[in-house]
Amino acid sequence: MTTRIHPVLGAFAALVFLFLLAPLVIIVGASLSDTSYLTFPPQGLTLRWFANIFEISAFRNTAITSFQVAILGTALSLLMGIPAAYALNRYRVELPKWLSTLFVLPILVPEIVFGFSLLKSITIGFGLPVYPSLILGHALLVLPYSVRVVGASLAAFDFSVEEAAISLGCPPLKTFLTVVLPNIRAGVIAAFILAFITSINDVSISVFLTGPGISTLPIQILAHMEQFFDPTIASVSVLLMLVTVGVMAIVEATLGLTFLTK
Amino acid sequence: MKRFAKWGLTMPATIAVVVALVIPVLLTIATTFGEPKGAFSTYTAFFNSGFRTNILYRTLRIALITTAISLVIGFLTAYVIARMPGRLKSIAIIAAVFPLLTGVVVRSFAWLIILGKNGIVNDTLMSLGIISEPLSMLYTEGSVIVAMVYLFVPLMILTLTGVLEGVPREVVEASTSLGATPIATFFQVILPLAVPGLIVGAVLVFTGSFTSYATPQLLGGEQMMMMGTLLYQRAMVTFDWVGASTIAAIMVVITIAVVTIMSRMARRLNPMAV
Amino acid sequence: MTVSLTIENLSAHYGSTPVLKDLSISVAAGELVSLLGSSGCGKTTTLRIVAGFLEPTSGRVRLGDRDLTTLPAHARDIGLVFQNYALFPHLTVMENVAFGLKQRGIAKPDRAKRAGSMLDRVGLSHLADRLPSALSGGQKQRVALARALVIEPPLLMFDEPLSNLDAKLRVDMRVEIRQLQKANGTTSLYVTHDQEEAFSISDRVAIMNAGRIMQLDTPEVLYRKPANAFVASFVGFENLVPMKVVSRDGATVTAEAAGGARLSFSQDVFGAIKDDFVLATRADGLVARQSGEGIPATLGTRTYLGRAYQYKCVTVAGEITANGALSEPYDPGTSAVLVPVPEQCCILDPEA
Repeated sequence: MTTRIHPVLGAFAALVFLFLLAPLVIIVGASLSDTSYLTFPPQGLTLRWFANIFEISAFRNTAITSFQVAILGTALSLLMGIPAAYALNRYRVELPKWLSTLFVLPILVPEIVFGFSLLKSITIGFGLPVYPSLILGHALLVLPYSVRVVGASLAAFDFSVEEAAISLGCPPLKTFLTVVLPNIRAGVIAAFILAFITSINDVSISVFLTGPGISTLPIQILAHMEQFFDPTIASVSVLLMLVTVGVMAIVEATLGLTFLTK
Repeated sequence: MKRFAKWGLTMPATIAVVVALVIPVLLTIATTFGEPKGAFSTYTAFFNSGFRTNILYRTLRIALITTAISLVIGFLTAYVIARMPGRLKSIAIIAAVFPLLTGVVVRSFAWLIILGKNGIVNDTLMSLGIISEPLSMLYTEGSVIVAMVYLFVPLMILTLTGVLEGVPREVVEASTSLGATPIATFFQVILPLAVPGLIVGAVLVFTGSFTSYATPQLLGGEQMMMMGTLLYQRAMVTFDWVGASTIAAIMVVITIAVVTIMSRMARRLNPMAV
Repeated sequence: MTVSLTIENLSAHYGSTPVLKDLSISVAAGELVSLLGSSGCGKTTTLRIVAGFLEPTSGRVRLGDRDLTTLPAHARDIGLVFQNYALFPHLTVMENVAFGLKQRGIAKPDRAKRAGSMLDRVGLSHLADRLPSALSGGQKQRVALARALVIEPPLLMFDEPLSNLDAKLRVDMRVEIRQLQKANGTTSLYVTHDQEEAFSISDRVAIMNAGRIMQLDTPEVLYRKPANAFVASFVGFENLVPMKVVSRDGATVTAEAAGGARLSFSQDVFGAIKDDFVLATRADGLVARQSGEGIPATLGTRTYLGRAYQYKCVTVAGEITANGALSEPYDPGTSAVLVPVPEQCCILDPEA
């Protein structure tokens, strides 16, 4: 049923996929190498670089910080984003158009500029401690996902269902929680996942908001690399890829992976 | 009640964006005009510095080249994916999504292993006897571009697959039935219909690579600084905050200009829009 | 240049499921033949194979003396009108109509002239510079028609062209399509699931089921003389009563339905009657009366139809729908006999 693909074009696409996936395979290989430097193909096989991660307290601590910041930042963005997305869809005609533009500003403004400005005005200027600044920064960075992805789900939601619930005597907040929320579940999950992944991998904002004792895993990886170029970095990278695999498995189990193409 | 609801519900997000993003960024930009030497003195200084303008031009050049290469690779690959049968298509999409969900640091780091002095490329070339001394491929524009293309091709593939799948099959068949060869159909029907999507993809890649930090930091180093790394260096290494703010302001202006102009163009070229 | 379309022994599979089984049709030069059937019957598959978008498992497609079977779709020279119009959204109405001429290498001035006069014929010259998004459904379908006609194809094909239009427009458009097709004398294949549409527009109609043609004939014959029980029930014969011959007396044959009801038929009217057959009638082929030779029945709900009353009846041979005279309305529960009206009855072979 599908149109034929010219063999040259097909071969080209195959090469592109090789280009996309080979570097990740190389990282996995390098993480297993029994050498003190990074190399591929691995020479000898060992898991000691994975063990090494857990011996370096900086990796442990920053990993914990990264997870905390990603969870709290994402949660905060959803708490702000879901009501905003709801209002934007429910009162579409009555709310000004710039409001929806405002919520995508964190994508529009260069991240590195946002990180720098946040440090300058909020952390130093306003005196907000580093850790809450980090969470606030990440929450704003991922806010567009909360508003847009949840908004896309809400756009497909028939609000007369909500009116039906209210007419049957269900109070507004309860209606939202029991009628609207279950129907936009897919959007909320997708927003959470995209936001979490974005936050946990973020560099450009975190790089400004690390202080004594507080850093995130990607920043720690960069710092480690400046001093040591050993397979530990590769094994940390593999663990981060496993997080990605885990997330994709969650997506597959809850929404189906085809969701990601929409 | 309703009045409260519609404004009240958007309030937390609005306040957060205004207080923590809009005002700080505006303040950053404002400080650049408050210099004792004159409102535009920091900009004059920036554009009179060969070192800094070189970095601006390099950043623009790298972003443009990355965008162009990603467009071609992404479009051709998306064209193939859009024509794949269902099962193969899902596998291809997963293969493109996986790198996209993997962090920038991890993906840039892979190229350190590949392009380094003892990396795969040098090892292979030396063992084949093509070169005797390892090539220095890192910390060049080339290495930054390769890693950036690697970074952004998945994004382009996913965006353009969506766009190409949005071209109705019947429209392509109509073209064929009217006697258009596959090549004529591609250039006269599919490509024009994909232009708005191509622009969207190009904007995403251009702004992403123009403002990138981690990749030039890892693969460009001190020698091949880009605007992002320069900003960081001025802010956190030399503590020249006015200089850093100037760079920030230039980045904001260029980014917003590109996004506004291009998205307006995309909207005008979109025949599907009413 | 009017030519005939010949489809010979076409078979097609979707995966391992057969969708067309040894299908043959020929459409005479200048004739319009419809493929009529419910979804999944293979009518669209047939059209897509002729258009070159699908490959048949076996069989040939010939247009005049050209064999199309292995020709790429863009070289087949067939005008195609799609259900959802399939206009090029980035081209104006004029450019849409001129598209096929451009592919044929016709110079721009000539292209504009021919496309322009075609737009005139469908009454849309005033919209030449509009984009399709600015047109109504009916206007879009006219553009699609003009676009297919302007290349003067030897064969026109329509894939449910009217199903996205509202009822009134559907009737107007089918008259318009028929007029344009007749005026050009273009051989045409028309796919639809709408019986009224197929019967009103076609010279001949092929009723399809499960990848086969059940009957191919003029609308008049299909309507009056269905060849088998499938076609009969498709064209509205509600009652299909299996019967067995019990005695023959010259031209008169007596047969028995399930439950023992006996009816007699004249072979002068129905031709030779086999021992096993099916009596097929619409409601007006059986009349509910108090006396006569017919199927004994208990009348059920009565519906007023204007010309007659209609009854849902329970009989020993199963449920039957029959008509009754306006002069004698019966209440539900009345016992009656259902008397066949020979000229409204068909005698069919039982399903194989």
